[in-house]
Amino acid sequence: MNPKNNLIIGILIALLVAASYNVGADPIEFVEGLPNLGIVVEEMLLVEPKYIPTALWAMFETIQMAFIGTIVGVAIALPLSMFAARNLNSKWVYAPIRALLAAIRTFPSILWAILFVIMVGLGPFAGVLAIIMYTIGFVAKLQYESIETIDADPMDAVSSIGVSKWQLIRYVVIPESASHLLSQMLYMFDYNVRQTSILGLVGAGGIGFYIINYIKFFEYGKAAVFMLVVLVVVLIIDWFSVKIRDKYIIKSQHGMEVTAKNNS
Amino acid sequence: MKQIQMTKTTSFSLINTKKIIQLNDIWTSYDSKNFALEGINMSIDRGANYAIVGQSGSGKSTLLKLMNGMMIPSKGTIKIDYVTPNIKDKKFKKMMHTIGYIPQSLGLIKNSTVLENVLIGALPRLSTIQSMLKKFPENEVQEAKKIIKQVGLEGKEDRKAYMLSGGEKRRVAIARAFMQKPTILLADEIVSELDHVTAREIMDLIADAQKRLNLTAIMVHHDMQLALEYANRVAVIKEGQKILEIGVEGDTIVDFQTGDMTTDQIMEMYKDEPKK
Repeated sequence: MNPKNNLIIGILIALLVAASYNVGADPIEFVEGLPNLGIVVEEMLLVEPKYIPTALWAMFETIQMAFIGTIVGVAIALPLSMFAARNLNSKWVYAPIRALLAAIRTFPSILWAILFVIMVGLGPFAGVLAIIMYTIGFVAKLQYESIETIDADPMDAVSSIGVSKWQLIRYVVIPESASHLLSQMLYMFDYNVRQTSILGLVGAGGIGFYIINYIKFFEYGKAAVFMLVVLVVVLIIDWFSVKIRDKYIIKSQHGMEVTAKNNS
Repeated sequence: MKQIQMTKTTSFSLINTKKIIQLNDIWTSYDSKNFALEGINMSIDRGANYAIVGQSGSGKSTLLKLMNGMMIPSKGTIKIDYVTPNIKDKKFKKMMHTIGYIPQSLGLIKNSTVLENVLIGALPRLSTIQSMLKKFPENEVQEAKKIIKQVGLEGKEDRKAYMLSGGEKRRVAIARAFMQKPTILLADEIVSELDHVTAREIMDLIADAQKRLNLTAIMVHHDMQLALEYANRVAVIKEGQKILEIGVEGDTIVDFQTGDMTTDQIMEMYKDEPKK
């Protein structure tokens, strides 16, 4: 600890206190509010089990929305990422594509959902479109970054054979970045399920639609049941994607490590 | 005076069917002050087994990259079968498939199988649709399997490249180059990291194919001994300059060009060179 660090910490604490005062973030209010949580739990216990099938069905719809959004989004993001990679294109190609992708990412999915609700009306389709946009923005970025980190040696060796750019992409870029892609798709699906759960707040379908309606009519107990379903399902999906990642992706990365040792 | 200039030009004739590669006063630089190569002249006969020997950083790998068009010289001219190598040039791009290039790092696709890696050598012969669908004609697949057998990897066609040993990976890279049906083979320190026995197996493999297919092989080496053993011409590069070029026939040096060092001195220079 030196005086300079102390000063920085002091400034941070001062800013924290000032910001909390400005937004009215009072820890005492939080503690005083804790008993209210008991009311929600009490209401939850009173909820009839007949709501659970509805909640599960709504969750199933949410998962399907996330699934379509992820698959279609990745399918559109992949070709875009090929044009956005600096090691495959000239500045005139990658710069505008990157600007477009950055613009797409600027909006959170809920803002995309509002836009699509205006365009195609209330319902799950607007949510699916929002998830597609969000997936394109993120997967394309992750993917062009992983393309740019591909080893230059296989690229040089294969381009010196006199292959076309498309052949280079098909036989070097895709195989070399494939293991990253699977991991990114899993991550994105996982993330999209969580995102889709809240898109209903703006009327874009899924389980969030029920949650927001119950909250509007002060039926916190019913809303809580639906939230609990979201929590459990997201945990299950998370557990599955960890399993898949362990089985397929970690293995191939381990293989690469062995290769690197042999090469050195 | 005019007469002398005339002879100078005609003595460096580009229309010489015997010479497949001609380098004339080649200079390259990574920045404006330091030159990687300084005034290299080289002419390589069709069907020759040409070795370039030098220490790390002497500029020998740069020479190969100039010959396959990955780099262009800052001064001087190179001709490969009368064409100036440049990867961006359409005329040269059409003949690139005739130059098999094996970089020191080999450049294999780690997650692809041996067969897939070797078939990459056939890509210039495929149509865009065939290659996008990965539909290799049956004769190309048979050819690839034949070459895999020739390089001693029979039964390992479906093995992923990252699972192979160092020697096996080199065989795959050689097979990929042969699959191109090349007339020129450029190999950068292909055996320098291998043990003695495996290194000689690989060198024999190339020497055999070279005679069979009338390949022109240009191989960069660390090891003078290995170069003298296999090549029929050896050029020694030191700090970007060619200090010596010798012709070898069996155990005899038949031709001795330029430079101010004896072979003994050169052998001495490379004897204690630590293996990378």
